[in-house]
Amino acid sequence: MAGQGIERREALRYIAIASVAATFPGFSQWTFACSDHLQGAALTSGAVQPYKPLFFSSEHFRLVEHFAEMIIPADDTPGAKEAGVAEFIDFMVANRVPVSARNEIRSTQDAIRAGEEAQVRFLAGLNWINAQSTSEFGQQFLDCSADQQKSFLEMLAYKTKLKPATESGREFFQMMRDYSVVGYYTSKIGLEALGYPGLRTAWPKMPGCTHPDDPEHVHLAQSTDHSAATLRIAG
Amino acid sequence: MPIRLFDAIVVGTGAGGGMAMKLLCEAGLSVLALNSGPRTDPAKHYRMHRQPYDLKYRGLGNPLSLAGRAHQEHYSVEEGEYTEGPELFEHDVAYSNAPGTDWYWKRCKGTGGKANYWGRSSARYGDIDFKAASLDGFGEDWPVDYAEIAPWFSKAERYMGVASTVQNRPSNPDGEYLPQIPWRCLDYIIQEAGKKIGVPYLPDRCAQLTVAHNGHPACHYCGNCTRGCDAGSFFSPTWFTIPEAEHSKNLTLLTDALVRAVLVDERGHATGVAYVDRHNQREVEVFAKVVVLAASCVETAHIMLNSKSRHWPTGIANSSGALGKNLCDHLYGNPGYGFIPRLVGQPPTPDNIADSTIGWMPRWQNLENPREEKFIRGYSVYVGGGCGEFPGHYSQLEGFGSEFKRNIKRYYPATIGSYIQAPALASAKNYVDIDPDKKDIFGIPQLRFHYEWGENELLMWQHSKKMIIDFFRAAGGEMWGADSEPNRPGTSLHEVGVCRMGSNPKTSVTNKWGQTHDVPNLYICDASIFPTQTDKTTTMPLVAFTMRNCDHLLENFRAGIHKRT
Repeated sequence: MAGQGIERREALRYIAIASVAATFPGFSQWTFACSDHLQGAALTSGAVQPYKPLFFSSEHFRLVEHFAEMIIPADDTPGAKEAGVAEFIDFMVANRVPVSARNEIRSTQDAIRAGEEAQVRFLAGLNWINAQSTSEFGQQFLDCSADQQKSFLEMLAYKTKLKPATESGREFFQMMRDYSVVGYYTSKIGLEALGYPGLRTAWPKMPGCTHPDDPEHVHLAQSTDHSAATLRIAG
Repeated sequence: MPIRLFDAIVVGTGAGGGMAMKLLCEAGLSVLALNSGPRTDPAKHYRMHRQPYDLKYRGLGNPLSLAGRAHQEHYSVEEGEYTEGPELFEHDVAYSNAPGTDWYWKRCKGTGGKANYWGRSSARYGDIDFKAASLDGFGEDWPVDYAEIAPWFSKAERYMGVASTVQNRPSNPDGEYLPQIPWRCLDYIIQEAGKKIGVPYLPDRCAQLTVAHNGHPACHYCGNCTRGCDAGSFFSPTWFTIPEAEHSKNLTLLTDALVRAVLVDERGHATGVAYVDRHNQREVEVFAKVVVLAASCVETAHIMLNSKSRHWPTGIANSSGALGKNLCDHLYGNPGYGFIPRLVGQPPTPDNIADSTIGWMPRWQNLENPREEKFIRGYSVYVGGGCGEFPGHYSQLEGFGSEFKRNIKRYYPATIGSYIQAPALASAKNYVDIDPDKKDIFGIPQLRFHYEWGENELLMWQHSKKMIIDFFRAAGGEMWGADSEPNRPGTSLHEVGVCRMGSNPKTSVTNKWGQTHDVPNLYICDASIFPTQTDKTTTMPLVAFTMRNCDHLLENFRAGIHKRT
């Protein structure tokens, strides 16, 4: 497997990070998600232990896990929880790996700054959620009813439901959504749910279009409900 | 190493250098090839079907992996966890940008260079390119015309294997092609929409083996091409030229040998090169009858500018003053992206298992009349889309929950994006020189870039944005957005011009065989000799020109102009 270790000459300088990574228990979840690639290190630890977060408190971790599952739930395909998305988020945040807004990163310093900013934003965002939930529903987010949780997230997710007071919450929700989507659709479970054709790594030939008699493909059913789901980009 | 005199030294083992050393070795010359980085090992440095979940950081990379290096920016698609970046890519040799310049210089220092991971678009240049100056009055024509170079394009295509079709387009001479990569549904939809707005969409010329070719197996469509082919099913020095050169037994290959300068004798002729051994930082001199530079465009100029001597106070073979000048890049950027509603909700299709530019919009502007548009020359556009490795379109979809997840999947086959390839015109503002103050960690004076986009290429950019709006309308599609600015210069990896060839020794660095006017035993075999940028890519043409240059070089050996050792 590529990229599994920090380079030797950097190991001493970054010993703290290296030891965090080496013991990252989330790999049990990831390797569970890709059983073809079970690695010795993950197997020798014996029975799967409950996940111990690297960065988040256990309360925050439960909130992240719940949040991710609300964004990408189990339905006809597995959801974020089964794909280990919360473990992914915890690992990326702990190791200061910037997941969104990577364009601006031109140096290790930039990357560390972006990674630390994500740590701060995650903590502030999770606290904001609980504070806002308490003021709105009188209890922490995880103690709210499913309906209350859903309407709370809708307030952050849809432009038409936005209020000025929830702007910081909306930004946090977008970041949480970015991390959840990246975590899910880079897992085997997520790519299978999507039907990513590249999971198959040998095709006897490129299967081209089978409707050359209809080059415009007008016969394909016109979708009617796409516009409602589309967020238009200004400009 | 004992002192040994070689027939030829080749600096660089990429598309040009690899071909040069193969041809010279096979002709019986003793060749010393120097590569600035390590040996590329496909099993280690290529993707080899690794999936994102096989990687510790899911392909995003360890943010600390380049800490302490001179150049810490990851090189986007070519790098990351799939291709152990810090080892194979250049992060130790720093370069400078003049104030106002933001050049992004991506360098693969492993053997084979960037051609391990290239995009494989391989169109021929035509007289519309070679004689552009005669047509529109800007600049100078190339010292060759199509009739002269066409047989070499054929040789390059036959060797590399290029898949396409015969198209009879005025701006794109047809070549000798393998069967095209089959078209996807979206290619037909794009083509039909293009017809409605007068824009061609045709199979690209793609150096990808749709059938077994010259002992190399046919493509197995894993979609990993741009991170290295594990089977060698497209042209790369690692699978093609380097093993063939080694097979001749005439090759000595030095790795981790960073060439600093060309050495000269009392007449100012080349005697060899000086390189820094990266392992012990010592400078070593090696000698040959002929020196071929193919270090990748701007690096070749860097070496020559650093080759100062009594004879060549401003750099070797620079009596014209043209060395380092005339830097021309492709302007790249996404002029528009969106989706095709009738593909929404279709089952996922294997659209990107060829990982290539299956179709493109070859130049259609200024064909009849060279001054029809507000800009001169012309640009091409690559269009693609469909089911890729990551559903990046999620950011265009609102919401969360099952509906959001379902929409990600529904839109998955329907997305379309585009990429403009617009040639920059030569400008006095765009050049490289040696930074007067800064040296890299090996003590070598750094290269410095001076570059800004000119009006002509920015007009093309604006033109392409309007075209894409019309295109989406004609396709019945909906646009999500477009890049507000073009990419940083350097992004395309197609820079040309800094050692331009020409008939006049007062205005050009080499003659039409890549032989420097001033130093008869110094040749150049990379895209730095191309005097202008075109709407096409550079790799296949530079392989063709390298074949021709080497033919001339060998002829000079046969004629006794260069003497064997």
